[in-house]
Amino acid sequence: MIGRAVANEFAKMRRLRVVPVVVAMVAGVVALSCFAFTTPGFLDSVGDPSGQPWQWLLGSMSLAVPLTSPILLAVLASRQVDIEHQANGWLFSQTSGLPPGYVCRVKFVATGAVVVAATLAQSGLVFALGTLVGITVAFPAGQWLGYTASIVVVNLVLFALHLLLSARIGNQLVGLGVGVLGVFVALTSTGMPTWLARCFPPWGYYALAMPVDAREGGMVWLAPAHLSVLALGVAGGVLFMLITRLFDRQEA
Amino acid sequence: MVGHGGPVAEMITTHDLGKTYGGRAVVEGLDLRVPKGCVYGFLGPNGSGKSTTMKMLLSLVRPTTGEIRIMGRPMRRSTRRELLGHIGSLIESPPAYGHLTGRENMRLVQRLLELNDDQVVRAVHTVRLHDHLDKRVRDYSLGMKQRLGIAMALAREPRLLILDEPTNGLDPAGIDEIRRLLKQLADGGITVMVSSHLLDEIDRTATVLGILGNGRMLFQGTRDQLLARSTPDVLIDTPEPQRAAALTAQWHPTRVDGEAVRLSGLDHKGTAGVVSRLVRDGIDIYGVRRDAQSLEDVFMDLTGGRGL
Repeated sequence: MIGRAVANEFAKMRRLRVVPVVVAMVAGVVALSCFAFTTPGFLDSVGDPSGQPWQWLLGSMSLAVPLTSPILLAVLASRQVDIEHQANGWLFSQTSGLPPGYVCRVKFVATGAVVVAATLAQSGLVFALGTLVGITVAFPAGQWLGYTASIVVVNLVLFALHLLLSARIGNQLVGLGVGVLGVFVALTSTGMPTWLARCFPPWGYYALAMPVDAREGGMVWLAPAHLSVLALGVAGGVLFMLITRLFDRQEA
Repeated sequence: MVGHGGPVAEMITTHDLGKTYGGRAVVEGLDLRVPKGCVYGFLGPNGSGKSTTMKMLLSLVRPTTGEIRIMGRPMRRSTRRELLGHIGSLIESPPAYGHLTGRENMRLVQRLLELNDDQVVRAVHTVRLHDHLDKRVRDYSLGMKQRLGIAMALAREPRLLILDEPTNGLDPAGIDEIRRLLKQLADGGITVMVSSHLLDEIDRTATVLGILGNGRMLFQGTRDQLLARSTPDVLIDTPEPQRAAALTAQWHPTRVDGEAVRLSGLDHKGTAGVVSRLVRDGIDIYGVRRDAQSLEDVFMDLTGGRGL
């Protein structure tokens, strides 16, 4: 049943402008990250380890992701759920044996796969463009992949939150408003101490995943709180399951 | 398998079915009997509990009291999915995604319920929507949306079809089309339960009527049984209606109606008694007859004049 329901979710995405939203999400991060190419001297130091070209790219990406993801994930979730509100889809699914919480879980699987693909594409494209402009210094694979994995988790938790919000509150402006507020919180968190950023899940966790930061004299490696991000993922997953189970018991 | 334990004459039965919201009973002590293969017209004013009852039948709302049996089997959480496989429904507004075409919507149903192409084609042909399948649903008229909703419900080839006010918002032509469709479905052996707050929409289609008022069943049976339930007024034509009315008012509820006196709730014996008394008092009587009573009058009587 779940396979057929997931296939239906992909079919429902047709004409929902999911592709433009995902393209904006990927292109936005890639463009903002690669803005580093235009800084004076960057292209001259692509072969110089002291120029820290990969660190600069990773640092730019760490700001680009919280700047674009919260609002675009809100848009993505809202579009997936609003069609159910508009089309009396919840009731139809229920009379076909799929309770509302199940529909939310299926949407999470289908659109979540798109979110994961988009996040990997962001990271991969920034790396590819870095290679293309001729960065020859050693690639910090561990930090890069660690950051990519962390933002996959944070993006999925945030997407799940917006799915629930859009499903619970029919007025989609609420979810989008939270998305805009999320951008503010996520960006502000990058300047907060770790303990404080941890108080604003999931938006503050973009800051916890940051592997590099600009300090006087250049970029310095940070110790990203991968365990905290993992804990966020587990807690988010458990909460999502619990809340969607509650949706299942809800009366029409 | 459905319907264990031998043949069952009723498609739906409920016993003491009730639903309470915050201490307010919306449906109370409902004993539904929906025979197999009929069109069951479920009538009642707005807010009488029709939609809540239908939602309980589909297990979308949990009953506070009582039990539901569909095709002889209790409708519970554990049996819900299996039973729903035999029930098509259209509750509230028609369920269709506006950004998709009719064909794409039908394909969603087909995939979800693992239906074959023939089942989908048959459902679409039944509602005569085959020429509009490639149009986006947001460009459909309300009638087309209703027909698509019915096609989505029919595609699983249900044994029971539950339709909540399917003619709401339709023009007379659309209403007539749905009416003919319901008849055609019942002729094909499907039990149809259809609700409405408008008597005229159901009167000509339904073979069995259930009338709900304030969450309680006021009547359940055939049209003829319903008409027989009510005693029409007696009209006595006389040249002295005022004098006759003054006299009969002492024994029965009476009012003057033009050149006649109208008496309510009189049986044959009572009528004879009134006539002989009037004659004894020297009042000429030109004629005595029972008023022709429409089904609507009976409904109005039952529901206290609310809405039907």
